Amino acid sequence: MKKSLILAAIALLPLSTPPIYAANPVDELLAKYRLQGADAFSAEAGKILWHQGFTQTGKIRKCTTCHTNDLHKTGKHARTGKAIKPMAPSVNPERLTKLKKIRKWLKRNCKWTLGRECTPQEKGNILIYLQSQ
Amino acid sequence: MINRSLVETASDTSRHKIRIWDLPTRLFHWLLVIAFIVAMLSQGDDRYLDVHVVSGYLFFGLLGFRFIWGIIGTHYVRFSHFAFDWKAVWHYLKMLPTKQRQHFLGHNPAGSWAIFIILGLGLIVSLTGLLTLGGEERHGPFAGMISFALGSSIHEWHEVTAWLLLGLISIHIVGVLVESWLHHENLIKAMITGLKSVPVSVFAQPLSVQRHGFTATILILVIIVIGTWVYSKPFIGPKLPDNVVWREACGECHLAYHPTLLPARSWQRMLAEQHEHFEEDLDLDDETLLEIQTFLMANAAESELTEPAWKINNSTPPEQTPLRITKTAYWIEQHQNIADEIWQHPDVNFQGNCGACHLDAEQGTFEDAAMRLPSSSVPF
Repeated sequence: MKKSLILAAIALLPLSTPPIYAANPVDELLAKYRLQGADAFSAEAGKILWHQGFTQTGKIRKCTTCHTNDLHKTGKHARTGKAIKPMAPSVNPERLTKLKKIRKWLKRNCKWTLGRECTPQEKGNILIYLQSQ
Repeated sequence: MINRSLVETASDTSRHKIRIWDLPTRLFHWLLVIAFIVAMLSQGDDRYLDVHVVSGYLFFGLLGFRFIWGIIGTHYVRFSHFAFDWKAVWHYLKMLPTKQRQHFLGHNPAGSWAIFIILGLGLIVSLTGLLTLGGEERHGPFAGMISFALGSSIHEWHEVTAWLLLGLISIHIVGVLVESWLHHENLIKAMITGLKSVPVSVFAQPLSVQRHGFTATILILVIIVIGTWVYSKPFIGPKLPDNVVWREACGECHLAYHPTLLPARSWQRMLAEQHEHFEEDLDLDDETLLEIQTFLMANAAESELTEPAWKINNSTPPEQTPLRITKTAYWIEQHQNIADEIWQHPDVNFQGNCGACHLDAEQGTFEDAAMRLPSSSVPF
């Protein structure tokens, strides 16, 4: 009886210890991008990329096409008009809190805007820039 | 049945002022007129279906009252009082152009037949309306008890009988005008005041009925109570199946279009082409994809969970696999009369923005009466 209790306690032990990545999902991703060869990240470079135009199917696309020039404001989907909640974590604390979401949208929206996936360096720069807002 | 029918003779200046129509009967008559006019004006346009149905309920309820009042009501409004056989009708019509024409205090034989037919047809119109409502719209007492297909064919009978009813009403009005003219008495006014001024020479001791104000008050109260109850239950559709993964994945860039809005083959194709989803790469992982696919397949248009589901499924030829709801025949037919100004309204943005007008787009029910002009509360 005692033995099984001890065993159960041991089995449950890993659940009580914090995971190795206790940091927030942005830090986790930045660490990963560094492993993939990215240099020091720059919010300034992220900002430039955020406002840069890319020509796709004859039209200029930018991050701001949907998210507007003000990250603190509600954006609008270019095609459907659906409201997009503000990107700045200072006004929308939900932003940059879910790793899966960050990865999904960085991938999808880089493809739509730039016509290709972003490099680890670009992704890191964007994340740092958004985080600072 | 004294004084029921008397032949008009020499003119006499002295007249009786008597009440023929009690107050409940007059209220019944004019409310029925209003209910019928409102129902006719609101028919044929899904946007006013709520108005149509409420007026239909009023119409039906009034008929119910009339059938009871026809048995227990006052002298002239009892069915037994104006149950003439066809010979009486024939005789009445034959004598009408002559000086020996008959003069009745209540309904004349021809008029009474029109009234019986109007009441009977009205009952058929009401019942076919309720069955249509239950079959096509999944509302009312027969909700879900009748298939869409049966509801649809009953709908045709509802329309045919309603137009027949309109025809009968026209005959009734012509009859009233002709008789008013021939007998020099305003029958329309009599139906408002309840009173008739009849010559003593023709009707020596005509029967005057009670006003029945109490019954009229009860009638009004019942209409108000039932009307409020009907109105407080607006057109909320059935609760449709939902799925968290689907709603999140499909609802981030646009309205999460309910699976009922396209056939299963369309959803299948859409997921197969997920990397070129209207210029976007959905890039859904296998787990999400499977979950969404299962949900879409189970509740696609073939499920016939709603009226649009049934109609979209039926109007899409099997060789077509539309990726846009706006390309289905049913959608096109339903939206063909919408003015360009509405499509260009800033709140509309594009045709797939169902929620701009359909209040229940998120729920996916697309009830006929749940439509409003963008940035305005008035129905358009």
